[in-house]
Amino acid sequence: MNYMGEHDIWIQSGRFAVALAFAAALIASITYLMSWMRKDGAALRRAGRAAFMLHAAGVIGTVVILFVAILNHWYELDYVWRHSSNDLPLEYIASCFWEGQEGSFLLWMFWQSVIGLVLIKVAGQWEAGVVGVLSIVQVFLTSMILGVYLGDLHIGSSPFILIRELPENLGLPWTDMVDYLMRVPGFSDGQGLNPLLQNYWMVIHPPTLFLGFALITVPFSYAMAALLNRDYSAWVNDAMPWVFAGVGILGTGVLMGGAWAYEALSFGGFWAWDPVENASLVPWLTLVALGHLMIIERVKRKATTSTLMMAMLTFFLVLYSTFLTRSGILGDSSVHAFVDLGLNGQLLVFLGFFSVLPLGLFLMRWKDMPKSPSEDAFSSREFWMFIGSLTLLLSAAQITFSTSIPVINKLVGPDGMIALLSTELAPPVEPFAHYHSLQIPFAILITTLMAIGPYLRWKSTPWSLFKRITLSGVISLLIASLVVWGLALYTFSYALLIFTSLFAVISNATYWLKYLKGQWTVGAMTISHLGFALILIGAVISNAKKEPISTNSTFIHQDFPSNENLLMPFGDTLSMYPYWVVWTGEHQDGHNRVFDVDFYLEDDSTHRSGTRLKLNKAFTLHPFVQINETMGNVREPSTKHYWDRDIYTYVSYADLRPASVKNAEWAEPMTAIVAKGESILLFNQYLLNCDSIAIDLASFDQFTGDLANLSMRMILRVQDSLGVDHPLDVTYQVEGSSALPGEQVLEDMGLKIRFDGVSDTAGQFKITAWERNPKQDPFILMQAFVFPYINVLWLGCLLLLIGSVLSVAKRIKKLKG
Amino acid sequence: MKRSSIILLLVIALLIGVLVSTIQDASTYASFDMAQKQAPETVTVVAQLDLDSPITFDPQTSMLTFTAIDKDGQSSTVLYNQPKPQDFERSEEITIKGRAGDGQFVAIEILMKCPSKYTEEGGVMADDEASIYTENS
Repeated sequence: MNYMGEHDIWIQSGRFAVALAFAAALIASITYLMSWMRKDGAALRRAGRAAFMLHAAGVIGTVVILFVAILNHWYELDYVWRHSSNDLPLEYIASCFWEGQEGSFLLWMFWQSVIGLVLIKVAGQWEAGVVGVLSIVQVFLTSMILGVYLGDLHIGSSPFILIRELPENLGLPWTDMVDYLMRVPGFSDGQGLNPLLQNYWMVIHPPTLFLGFALITVPFSYAMAALLNRDYSAWVNDAMPWVFAGVGILGTGVLMGGAWAYEALSFGGFWAWDPVENASLVPWLTLVALGHLMIIERVKRKATTSTLMMAMLTFFLVLYSTFLTRSGILGDSSVHAFVDLGLNGQLLVFLGFFSVLPLGLFLMRWKDMPKSPSEDAFSSREFWMFIGSLTLLLSAAQITFSTSIPVINKLVGPDGMIALLSTELAPPVEPFAHYHSLQIPFAILITTLMAIGPYLRWKSTPWSLFKRITLSGVISLLIASLVVWGLALYTFSYALLIFTSLFAVISNATYWLKYLKGQWTVGAMTISHLGFALILIGAVISNAKKEPISTNSTFIHQDFPSNENLLMPFGDTLSMYPYWVVWTGEHQDGHNRVFDVDFYLEDDSTHRSGTRLKLNKAFTLHPFVQINETMGNVREPSTKHYWDRDIYTYVSYADLRPASVKNAEWAEPMTAIVAKGESILLFNQYLLNCDSIAIDLASFDQFTGDLANLSMRMILRVQDSLGVDHPLDVTYQVEGSSALPGEQVLEDMGLKIRFDGVSDTAGQFKITAWERNPKQDPFILMQAFVFPYINVLWLGCLLLLIGSVLSVAKRIKKLKG
Repeated sequence: MKRSSIILLLVIALLIGVLVSTIQDASTYASFDMAQKQAPETVTVVAQLDLDSPITFDPQTSMLTFTAIDKDGQSSTVLYNQPKPQDFERSEEITIKGRAGDGQFVAIEILMKCPSKYTEEGGVMADDEASIYTENS
């Protein structure tokens, strides 16, 4: 049967593209790896290359067709219907594309195919091994969007499945209608994009993050190729640019997530140790560790096994975080995990395959691998770099363990596989205290190493070099003391971290300016370390000194400390030290209900004269609430940025009913049927008695016999809760074809009653009753925070990114030179 | 060999330490009954909102009062000194972090799980399991 309005050719092509991508990746991996294992497999390599290019064509075709489908609103497709809608602005089409699991898998494999194509060009003799391993990863990723049913087994979830083909719709009557797309109203518009995601961050954050993830596949593929061919060290040089590109891009992606949370979501900060945030941070930490181990390996050939191990682990952690965020296992503990698509089994196979096989290969080659014969000197750069990498690994381990609490429950919880625990574990009640208890000491160690690092020499460092950092140490101690004192940051661990981070900043800056003469080409290490230290300084200060300036000091009970919500009646000028704030307006802008809040500062003269408060307007903020019927409203912050601090506000409570409803004189009505001598209950509190109903006049048309004129009168009594009666009478008239229901208002009770005529049953009459809308002065609740020195963090991000770019450039240059 | 062995042992010891600290810091999922017994310890209760009991929000004190039913079917009044979360009544499940007080449960943080409204008019499409999470803290 040909269904009208379906885009059959496109959809079939889309499915074909997915199938092609899958099959070609499979062939590419087999031919490439066969060629890799036999040194003479040039023909096989060419076959592998052709297959991979077909695979890339399939992936790109899939991406293009899905984009076309979303752009043109082809709602017969489940994916399009679910993630987009007619009224969605063009700039968010991309967000729709990767909102769902299928699309984000597609994004990930798109990046990996692009990387594969680049590798074909640049990997030289490593091509067959590296692209071969990458192809295996692509096989697994493509299988996630395959959408094939083998009996009860469900492999992948296709973005090209039609709604009428969904298992729950099979056999429903409308699926037999040729023109169901026009007939069923549900198909005229899609579900739309979650308002949380209608944000430019959602346009740039996922592609960046997934490019970072895709880049991690490269060192993994190199490591596997190296193990397969028993060439354990040479890969490091070639893989290094990819690793540092990954550090920069994944780092940017992770921080963009933080910036998104800070700028557009009212989570009250840029980092909440949310499981999904953690899942993206952990691979970054081990990737940085891998980068450093690779440097040791390249220079000293002393970290062969640990480098291979770390490359495998980092890739495994990417898959593990994919599993955590996509299996639905984080459901109870995270704000933004994906929805479970029933692919958990497949994800576990994916995870199992890429942990067992690489580890098995590694152990098989263990005896064969070169081990460093000598101990590193205590004063050598390689020794401390190794310690630094281990610290990063430990830091990653803590975050992973804590994020994995739901997994621990599944394994050893009371209902788990081996019931070791008697109660289910829940995530830490105070995530900050929990994570900081170990992450701060780790950060202190890391920043100290970063401060000393540049001055250390390979093999061993003469004492004279250490003298060079004494001055930096003293200066940073002085500045740190000033900062700690100035900000009253008297928590020991924070103060110490401020000192070590400043030490890293100053020592790296000195090293770059004084010893490297400020040259960009050799500044990669110092600039990225400087950036990282600044990120930590910004994070510590802005978090530890984050200050709520909005307060509600009404004392309720000792259990409830005054909280951080300021009650703002419309137009009142309220003190919110150091500001005075007024809620001045409210308007609707598209989907958003925008609130205008003016901020004033006291004029200097106020204090001198001491007589009259004089206020100068400082700025206006526009926090808003995005109204979304289908998915729930979202409150979004508005922030005033100064160079040294941010004033961050959002509306935490507001009456969001439309003005016509809010300001109407009468609230929602109720209807009732009354009969003579009976009584009914109005609004659960008033007793309405119907005393009599009289027909004053009734005349009929003399030709047709229809009712021409009618006038009825109903005598009613409303009894209030004190038993006092309030009499009223209402009329109902018919004149020709028009009816005139009469109504009466009981002013002192705030009631209005209308007589609506006769009901279908004889002797019964219809009425409508209203209660007066309670007069309520409009108000909102607002939260406001000051985040001091948060710009230090963003500056650090920028420097870290520049540092990563420089190091990629340096590694590529070294490869070519 | 010696120093690297020491480092290896140290790393293993730290890893174990990290695991232990995670388990120690972890709270437990509890029922309101257990919360009462464990008071004033902070616990996490997974519960459902009782829509038949009043849900009141006093903006003057920004105090939300409602009744929740835990997985054992026991209900408790919950006090939450924060603005009422958006679409609170629509939540199908709420995760409440807090502790038991005098006959009431004092919430520190509430995480809601909301069903997205997927049902089409005329029952053309079946309900979807899809849900979104909105945090309100």
